[in-house]
Amino acid sequence: MKRTARRILLDLDGTRATATLYDEFAPKTCEAAWDILPVTGRAIHANWSGREIMLHLEGEKILRLPQEMKVRSNFVTEGDITYFYRASQMSRGKQLAYSAQFQRELSEFAIFYGSPAGEGLSAYDPARTPYKEGVHVLNKFATIDRPIPEEFRLKCETLRHEGLKPLTVSRY
Amino acid sequence: MLVTKLKLKLGGAEAVVELAERDAPKTSKLLLSLLPVEERARHAMESGREVYIVLGESVDIPEENQTIYQTVGDVLMYYKPSLFIEPGWPEYANEKPVLSWVYERDTAIMGTYSPLATNVVGKIAGGLNKLQAEAPRMRREGFGMMKLSRL
Repeated sequence: MKRTARRILLDLDGTRATATLYDEFAPKTCEAAWDILPVTGRAIHANWSGREIMLHLEGEKILRLPQEMKVRSNFVTEGDITYFYRASQMSRGKQLAYSAQFQRELSEFAIFYGSPAGEGLSAYDPARTPYKEGVHVLNKFATIDRPIPEEFRLKCETLRHEGLKPLTVSRY
Repeated sequence: MLVTKLKLKLGGAEAVVELAERDAPKTSKLLLSLLPVEERARHAMESGREVYIVLGESVDIPEENQTIYQTVGDVLMYYKPSLFIEPGWPEYANEKPVLSWVYERDTAIMGTYSPLATNVVGKIAGGLNKLQAEAPRMRREGFGMMKLSRL
């Protein structure tokens, strides 16, 4: 897959990694994501899909994008960054760990920093398949540049034990 | 049969667990022999709304009263793949014994590639609502200690 040189910077509580956009693979998602940068928020660790941290988009940064690619099993792997959207009527019970916005509608960047990536319950979750526009959308739009900095991986891992940490995604 | 009750503490929240001694006698006996147990609590990253502690390597959990259809309030003992506990895959042990509980729906305990059968050793009989508030708070603010002891 040919990639352009557009890159983004992930700054998680002072620890950084860069990523390259999949402009040819997901042009609409890349353009939309690029347009709202920089985005700052407090990242939280996933509890359904392995080594993943999530940055929920809120307010004017919320993206409601179309499904741009076919999602297959083993769709994500270590280093992938995806855009995920879930409509409010598809909420999965009480989500007290997240913000009020999350209760209504979920629009997020998901950063898969290590292995297993996307291998948990979410991979077998019938509520998430098939992906339908306006209901569930999952687009892979970037990958963390290799090698993924070990310091960045470890910082992501600390969210599991220490809670939310500030994350800024910006143009690089 | 008189039900044995245990006290489950997570941070500032306390709950009561009823031991499943009739359905899981061997696992219940094992759990009682470990009490009191207190370790740093962890949240699942693969199975949904599950909080657990890692038990000592020498703990030998028998296969008993198992299900892959865990429900809210279940207290479980089983072997969790190490990959889900710490980064990497330690060569000396690819799974570790854990004691856990489920606090919300949309939870299913996962093995590496499929649902995992777990021993149901008890049920949260009181205070579940407190745990349902404390676990998400800890996800946001950081995890503290979990303690299970005789009531």
